[in-house]
Amino acid sequence: MQRELTDPFHYPKPDIKPDATVVKKGKKPKNMGKTLYRLWAYLAQKKGLLILVLVMVALSCALGLLGPYVLGMSIDRFIVNRNLDGFTGMLLFLGCIYFLNSIALFLQSYWMIGISQTTVFQLRANLFHQFHELPISYFDKKQHGELMSRVTNDIENVSSTLNSSVIQIFSSIITLIGTVVVMFILSPLLTVLTLIIVPVMFLGMKWITSRTSVLFKEQQKNLGDLNGFIEESISGQKIIKTFSLEEKMINDMKEKSDKLKNSAYWAQVYSGFIPKLMNMLNNASYAIIVGVGGLLALKSGAVSIGVIVIFVEYSRQFTRPLNDLSNQFNTLLSAIAGAERVFEVLDEEREEEDEKTASVIKETKGEVQFKQVSFSYETDKEILKDINFKVNPGETIALVGPTGAGKTTIIQLITRFYDATTGCILVDGHDITKIKRESLRSHMGFVLQDSYLFEGTIRENIRYGRLNATDKEVEDAAKMANAHGFIEHLPDGYDTILSANGNGISQGQKQLLSISRAILADPSILILDEATSSIDTITEVKIQEALKRLMKGKTSFVVAHRLNTIKHADMILVLDKGMIIEKGSHDELLKTRGFYYELHQNQFSEAAE
Amino acid sequence: MIKIMFSKPKEISSMVGKDGYFNLSGQRLEGIMSKIFGRLRVYKLSITIALFLMLTELAVELVQPLIMAKIIDDGLAHQDTKVVLIWGGLLIVFSLVAFAAGIINTFYSSHVCQNFGYSLRNELYQIIQYFTFSSSNVFASSSLITRLTNDITQLQNTIFMGLRFLLRAPLLIVGGIVMSFLVNVKLALILAVTIPLIVIMFIWVIKIGRKLFQSVQKKLDHVNSVMLENLTAVRLIRAYIRKQFERNRFTQTSEELKNLTQRALRIMETTVPLLLFAMNLCIIAILWIGSGQINTGEAQIGEVVAVINYTLRITSSISVVSMLVMVISRSKSSADRIQEIIDIEEKDTDNPEGNRKSKIKGKINFQHVSFCYPSNRKNTIGNLQFTIQPKERIAILGATGSGKTTLFQLIPRLYEPTEGTILIDDKRIDSYSLNALRKQIGYVPQESMLFTGTIKENIMWGNPNATFEEVVQAAKDAQIHETIMLMPNTYDTRIGQKGVNLSGGQKQRLSIARALVRKPSILLLDDSTSALDLKTEKKLLDAVASYQCTLLLITQKVSTAMKADRVMLIENGEIVSFAPHDQLYKTNKLYQKIVESQLGEGEWENAKGTNRSISLS
Repeated sequence: MQRELTDPFHYPKPDIKPDATVVKKGKKPKNMGKTLYRLWAYLAQKKGLLILVLVMVALSCALGLLGPYVLGMSIDRFIVNRNLDGFTGMLLFLGCIYFLNSIALFLQSYWMIGISQTTVFQLRANLFHQFHELPISYFDKKQHGELMSRVTNDIENVSSTLNSSVIQIFSSIITLIGTVVVMFILSPLLTVLTLIIVPVMFLGMKWITSRTSVLFKEQQKNLGDLNGFIEESISGQKIIKTFSLEEKMINDMKEKSDKLKNSAYWAQVYSGFIPKLMNMLNNASYAIIVGVGGLLALKSGAVSIGVIVIFVEYSRQFTRPLNDLSNQFNTLLSAIAGAERVFEVLDEEREEEDEKTASVIKETKGEVQFKQVSFSYETDKEILKDINFKVNPGETIALVGPTGAGKTTIIQLITRFYDATTGCILVDGHDITKIKRESLRSHMGFVLQDSYLFEGTIRENIRYGRLNATDKEVEDAAKMANAHGFIEHLPDGYDTILSANGNGISQGQKQLLSISRAILADPSILILDEATSSIDTITEVKIQEALKRLMKGKTSFVVAHRLNTIKHADMILVLDKGMIIEKGSHDELLKTRGFYYELHQNQFSEAAE
Repeated sequence: MIKIMFSKPKEISSMVGKDGYFNLSGQRLEGIMSKIFGRLRVYKLSITIALFLMLTELAVELVQPLIMAKIIDDGLAHQDTKVVLIWGGLLIVFSLVAFAAGIINTFYSSHVCQNFGYSLRNELYQIIQYFTFSSSNVFASSSLITRLTNDITQLQNTIFMGLRFLLRAPLLIVGGIVMSFLVNVKLALILAVTIPLIVIMFIWVIKIGRKLFQSVQKKLDHVNSVMLENLTAVRLIRAYIRKQFERNRFTQTSEELKNLTQRALRIMETTVPLLLFAMNLCIIAILWIGSGQINTGEAQIGEVVAVINYTLRITSSISVVSMLVMVISRSKSSADRIQEIIDIEEKDTDNPEGNRKSKIKGKINFQHVSFCYPSNRKNTIGNLQFTIQPKERIAILGATGSGKTTLFQLIPRLYEPTEGTILIDDKRIDSYSLNALRKQIGYVPQESMLFTGTIKENIMWGNPNATFEEVVQAAKDAQIHETIMLMPNTYDTRIGQKGVNLSGGQKQRLSIARALVRKPSILLLDDSTSALDLKTEKKLLDAVASYQCTLLLITQKVSTAMKADRVMLIENGEIVSFAPHDQLYKTNKLYQKIVESQLGEGEWENAKGTNRSISLS
């Protein structure tokens, strides 16, 4: 076990300045108020219930105020004056008050939990929905774990606050107002004495919250980073193990964990000052009431002992909600830190929406044409330059070229994962940017470089290609892809559950499942991206047979490197450095003795060594 | 529910039985709290200080009603100004003391809390890193993440609250009762009866809460894993237009989470109103009996007021206690989940001292090696027997699922063979320390795994101590240097998780560079040249030849196999043949088939005779 680490008073402070614009009462800076307002909008969706909750809160506050009053009255009237007439009645009355109070408390909390959890559910749903509206480029730039942290940790922050904060805040405000009124009626003098502490509290809160608001944000950010790091390291276990990088990962994580520790520490410390500050002010106010008030009672009889006793009680009723409000305010800051990160994602620019006039295509013949298409990911380097070609329906097109030549990019453009920077792409003569993305993709089938299998049965994974397919259709597709054989050999066959990591079946087998999925989809345009390269040649031959059957009448784009695959294509597009340098059938290209010829010769002169 | 693919009966993940929770070995999870919180022993000093300070605050609070009673009874009732001033002054002094104590307590409590979380997280992460490869598949990654973050936070909350309130509330209650007894026995009895009943209720609530929150955390795991899947496979989902499908899937699980959380919270929240009512009844009883006592002269007004005061304070503690109760239940269920990780039995068996110094020459010897994945019935590879000499170049061919990758994974000891022995340089593979062994192996898996960071950082994963020149050399040998130089920031270009902005071939070459920078004695390339064209592949293999290492290359291309010293043909987990290409072609029908399907019948014969040179501009 390690020895005690740092000394409690000297934690490194995160490098941030206190936010001078945070004030307790009064104008809130634009950002914070905006976030609060948005959160409120979610809650307000359940207006009816919310009002009921408020009613209950008001009720329990009123009863909460009434209780001590009746109590004090009982003491004064019956005990001090030693007169027991009607005492029993009073006690019964008191009992009723307490009973109703408990009922009100129960109901308000019961309903509020419903409201807050629904809000959280809604937030999660919106976030999820948003993820599917964002452009693909967004995901290429962010760590998965970091995004996940927003769905979990940040929303969790909001959730734990909403569960109790709303009620607390309302009840505190109501109680506060009610109490002050009653206190004033009882004794204006003592009330003024009690209120002395308010300005002091105000200043103290300002000092504290200007720091905590910034620290909470920092804390959530560090948490997100840590999440991202952990997720990446867990999914990359294989590499970490084989490269003996465990120590490195542990040290890297320590660094991030340390950052979190520091920001969390200071956030906690400053937050923790609040109740202590309030306590002291409370005690000070009691002292003032009893001391000063007592003296006044003695000297001028301005107040009676009974009133002082009751007043002490009421001042507790006063200081308690004040305490609560300050704590709640601080908790809100924490929730805001979380909510801001959620709204940050919700505010991201969505993928350019399909234009309102975008059409839906019912059937495609499968004719594809690229007209002077150019593309770059960022504005720097052009990945594709002036691509022109036309594919007739049912043709098989092979995209060939050295790696990085732009083959996968062409496919990304056809499917509109990205859109061309200049030029246009036509399907059946229609500009694809004028077709709804979903409609376009519904006519395509994919086997991508990564197989992307889900947690679920093999059957479910294949069925992903066409959700309403029957079991037989699923099996037929698997048979065509030559996956049926190995599936039957698994202990649970088609009902074998694949884990999210997909471990336990080989890469090649994953590809076969991926192909089955595409076969099931039975689309008019097929996109195969380097899929067949991880499968042994014999199986590949079988697949090619099946694909040939499948590809009949369908336009297919194949990105592969094996000349045998490419040989039988109707047209070969030879790409190099983002440009088409040769176009034609295998025989035609060989005759021209150009780049393709060299590539082809390469294969055979290699063989000759 | 997340079902685990590898489930040996022994390794079945935590089952929630009717009578409690079981860890992976089937041991009952008793005393979890003491196990996990035992780690707090390191902070003995800080905890003691924090508790002491809390007691100080408490003492002040308890003494307050007494002082006030004194002021009222001795001062006001007797019109004694001096008493009022002195005791009033004392009140103020005490409250300042309490304030100071409270502030210092905050520092110490946070210190313990944050350090605890930090250390526990490190400890867990270390454990996870050293899981055996198969153990790392027991938990879904999203579940591990939740346990490392969310669950630890729950524990931290408990500790923080504990050091500030935990003793306070019960002590306040006990103190309140004791003080009441000191003031007036008969009235105090009322309290002494009610409060134990309340305590029993709390204990019962904690028990229920633990179960409830366990199911909440589990559901949270599931929500996370669906979320993660969606983030990872976003392209596929768009391609197949499964947005709605995924949305339904997510909504379903998210709704279940909502319902579970609601239920758990609501049940926990019923305690407060209930108990409040009980305490209020107490007050009524005290009033009733108290008035009787005053009438008979048994008690003074001040006494009754004091007891009521204490009762009121105890009442307000009830809501604090119920909040604590909620936090404790949550933390119990979190503690369970954390303990599950710690209890994983299978850890990498390592011999840390073994054979650290010697450089491996690269002779690999498999003796009757078989291996079966935990979830499968049949062996994936059976009775493999072969020897590879140092610096040999071996090509491995075989149908999909024939066991090639499995074979590879045994060499760096990602898995242990179920039967047989593996020797490297004639020494058993487990006589080497894992570190020493893996350091000298360069493994490039089929699926390229890159990490967020710059290209340079990614290559340096292979050797954190590499100089920049070594990094560039490795990149040149992997045939990716030129591509890198064309990138906007060359080696400082950032690539996203899984290297998404690179083409498949680029990712592969980067992975190879990462392995090469280690200057390994054994290089394992699992289908790592599949996305490369032949020209690049040739250059790569030539560059690799200069590394003087044993090369095992899984490939589908016969043209690649032809360049190897020997070709190993694997079918159904067994070695069909292991010989140089020419010999294999002559003797093995399967191999003939493969060659012909790739190079075309007859063309092979043709090509054999020609002797063209390669010259490409």
